[in-house]
Amino acid sequence: MRDVAVLGVGMHPWGKFPERSVTELCREAVVAALDDAGVSWSQIEAVTAASSRFSGGKGWGLNGNDIVEDMGSTGIPVYNMSAGCAAGGNAFNVGHTMVAGGAYDMVLVVGGEKMPKGFIQTSGVEEETDPEFLRQRCVGMPGPAFWALLCRQRMAEFGTTEEQLAKVAVKAHQIGTHNEYARFRKEFTLEQVLESNMVSDPLRLYEICPVSDGAAAAIICSADKARQIAAANPVWVAGSAVATARFDDGLPRGLAGVVPTGRTHHSEAAIAVEKALAQAGATPGDLDFVELQDNTVYYELAFPEDWGLCGPGEAEHLLESGETMPTGKMPINPSGGFLCFGEATTAMGVFQVCELTWQLRGDAGPRQVPDAKLGLAQTLGLGGNGTAVVLKR
Amino acid sequence: MTTEGTPVIEGLFSETADGPRLVGSRCTTCTTPYFPKSSLCHNPECTESKIEDASFGPLGTLWSSSIQNYPPPPPARYDEPYEPYALGVVDLADGLRVVGRMAVEDPASVQVGDRVELVLGPIYHEEDGTEAISWMFRPI
Ligand SMILES: [Zn+2]
Repeated sequence: MRDVAVLGVGMHPWGKFPERSVTELCREAVVAALDDAGVSWSQIEAVTAASSRFSGGKGWGLNGNDIVEDMGSTGIPVYNMSAGCAAGGNAFNVGHTMVAGGAYDMVLVVGGEKMPKGFIQTSGVEEETDPEFLRQRCVGMPGPAFWALLCRQRMAEFGTTEEQLAKVAVKAHQIGTHNEYARFRKEFTLEQVLESNMVSDPLRLYEICPVSDGAAAAIICSADKARQIAAANPVWVAGSAVATARFDDGLPRGLAGVVPTGRTHHSEAAIAVEKALAQAGATPGDLDFVELQDNTVYYELAFPEDWGLCGPGEAEHLLESGETMPTGKMPINPSGGFLCFGEATTAMGVFQVCELTWQLRGDAGPRQVPDAKLGLAQTLGLGGNGTAVVLKR
Repeated sequence: MTTEGTPVIEGLFSETADGPRLVGSRCTTCTTPYFPKSSLCHNPECTESKIEDASFGPLGTLWSSSIQNYPPPPPARYDEPYEPYALGVVDLADGLRVVGRMAVEDPASVQVGDRVELVLGPIYHEEDGTEAISWMFRPI
């Protein structure tokens, strides 16, 4: 396998853009990434794109084809990757695998999304054989209820308080004010978070991320190509992995599962992270910072423990002592995370690659993790899809 | 309790002489329980899929709970005006971890670790007024 560089990254800001098409959002991100990489569109040999269920893609998730038509049809291959909310991370992994394996020297990885208003239906299938359909019709349990159930279980097991949950959101927004691409760039007090409406008890409105529009792009290439480009300021892919949930996972995805023997929820994320770290030859303690999928404050507490960054029940203490801030011992989501951006579902995995790249270059300004050398990003999506990428300076 | 209504979806539960049960299946090789029924065992460590009909319940422990504070999007259904309800994940004594609505007056009264039993009850009404019946869990 060859070394792979992230040569350039670019983003369209996150927000609600009713006047703009998803293709326009993507074009802005792609042009910025090409510019950052110092290469032209004609040098791109293949595209791996996140497939969206909500916007563009001709209704078939052909989002990469939209981008190629818009940028100029050069005849290059397009790979449209579908993995629910993990599609952006999945597209990065496929692009990385193809460059590392020698199939292409220069690949565009892209994810763009315009989301419908309000809470989304997790599954698009209305059939009695679909477990998501059964759960929602027979129980009335939509996607965010999972976050609430996981969170309540943590509160019962570790004594996590409502104040501690709110502090995760307060911390995220302290950082998000410094990110020009973030949708929400305003600080919240602990009282404001605790007074926000209960949405899915015990989770409040400001403790879960809404849906957003956004687009992100990354140009990845072989080491030889990176050396040929004079202006190159690459960071390097140390590990990239995808995984699916294990059979003995303790989180029932449909109506039921097996009572597990251990404490494993979201095994898809844990497996992907473990594999990416192994490829990087790194331990969790070697990581200088992490971008994780914080659809809700719960994940920022649970995932670092699930992945061995800290011990079970320690996350609240690290949060409250400031160690999860960019300047702390275990920086989590120095971008501001999903809480500050909102979730443009399939674009999120590529958004994380942009943040990792800026952090590793030392270009993250007031939210910079000091001397960042090694960073991890993680997504998960419907179907039990998990992705992880480790980038290094 | 169920005589007036019709199941939300047919074939997921039954009323027996001993009370309500969830209708599923179990692999006799590896003892994995399935709800709803599965025609094959999906346990990757199982040596041979041997599926038998099985019923589950009524007793279990509440692994976690939440309150559905906002009206859920389709395909969920609910009666107007919307009233928040409690949701639970229950570990049944027979090895099944299953989701269900909680049959309680006050959603906030539910506690993780509660002993619960399986009951049947209406979760919404059809347009003609028929009760739509589903499985639920009630603290005991
Ligand atoms: Zn079996």
